[in-house]
Amino acid sequence: MFINWALQEINLKIVYYGPGMSGKTTNLEYIHSKLDPSLTGELVTLKTKEDRTIFFDFMQIEVGRIKGKKPKFNLYTVPGQVYYASSRKIILNGVDGVVFVADSQKDRMEGNIETLLDLEKNLQEMNQTLENFPWVIQYNKRDLPNAESLDVLQKRLNLFNVPYFEAVAIKGVGVFDTLKAIINLVVQHVQKQI
Amino acid sequence: MVQVKKLKDGSRQIILAPQQFDEITKILSELAAKTKASTILLADISGQLITQRGNTDDINTAILSALAASDFAATSEMAKLVGEDAKFKLLFHEGEKRNVYLSNVGDNFFLVVVFDVSVTLGLVRIYTKKAIENLIKVFESSETADDSSKIIDDDFSSMLGDMLDESFK
Repeated sequence: MFINWALQEINLKIVYYGPGMSGKTTNLEYIHSKLDPSLTGELVTLKTKEDRTIFFDFMQIEVGRIKGKKPKFNLYTVPGQVYYASSRKIILNGVDGVVFVADSQKDRMEGNIETLLDLEKNLQEMNQTLENFPWVIQYNKRDLPNAESLDVLQKRLNLFNVPYFEAVAIKGVGVFDTLKAIINLVVQHVQKQI
Repeated sequence: MVQVKKLKDGSRQIILAPQQFDEITKILSELAAKTKASTILLADISGQLITQRGNTDDINTAILSALAASDFAATSEMAKLVGEDAKFKLLFHEGEKRNVYLSNVGDNFFLVVVFDVSVTLGLVRIYTKKAIENLIKVFESSETADDSSKIIDDDFSSMLGDMLDESFK
């Protein structure tokens, strides 16, 4: 978090985390396409030729002034593939809140768990834990026929009972609910911390 | 000083007082004038832009600082991999029309200087080094910002919620 008193700005960093192909970039693309252009900057995506995120995606959202203060939300995604571990660690630097985008498909459960453990490890290196850090889960791809039941997903991934959302990010289902939830959680958390 | 607070949960919060902001802006303006840099940014290592100088109309500086922070962080990881114990302190990108010079300012901040290829690198190096020394002095000055607890209260949270609902229609 960065507060600039001269400009009355509050900058918060939110990172979309999750296994490869779970729909992190899709979330940002949907937000970018639906928000009024005056509220959001350009969406930058650093992709490979195959459309996989190689480093991160980034966009900034501003919602105007609140009591004279100007909150700005910097949204990032991380590359999901296992071998980009060090990129993920870099992007988490200074993070204020995380959206964990899980892939609901049955055969992606291991990938979800592996990435969640990777998140916890990286948070621990920053002296944070999943237990105390503001984060939410988005179960994406709920429309696919091989999607796991919500019960099983909850049992295996939502170990700390954080807010969760069912989503079909490509159609925008659940995307804004998730974003709003993480922003609220981050703001509440900041309020508690200071 | 620039308050880099460790919060209860271990996270980092950076608060900049108005006077410090003015001094920082002054240092960057001087640097811009001396190096004829087209754009200068000061950002924190997590990628948050703090302030900018020069021609910033046709550059999205929020994105530039996010990319530069990652560039910096990636290079630090590279340093570790090749057995360099300290972080690399500066990065230089050479283009056909523009060059970009990145240098860290203490542990928490870095500077991005975009300049024309007609300006010699040596000149940029010297003035940037001086500017960094001055910036560090400002960061260490005893100026303190207002109480940040006033910035976010219950009212703020609920108003923000309303604004998000409005924006996300």
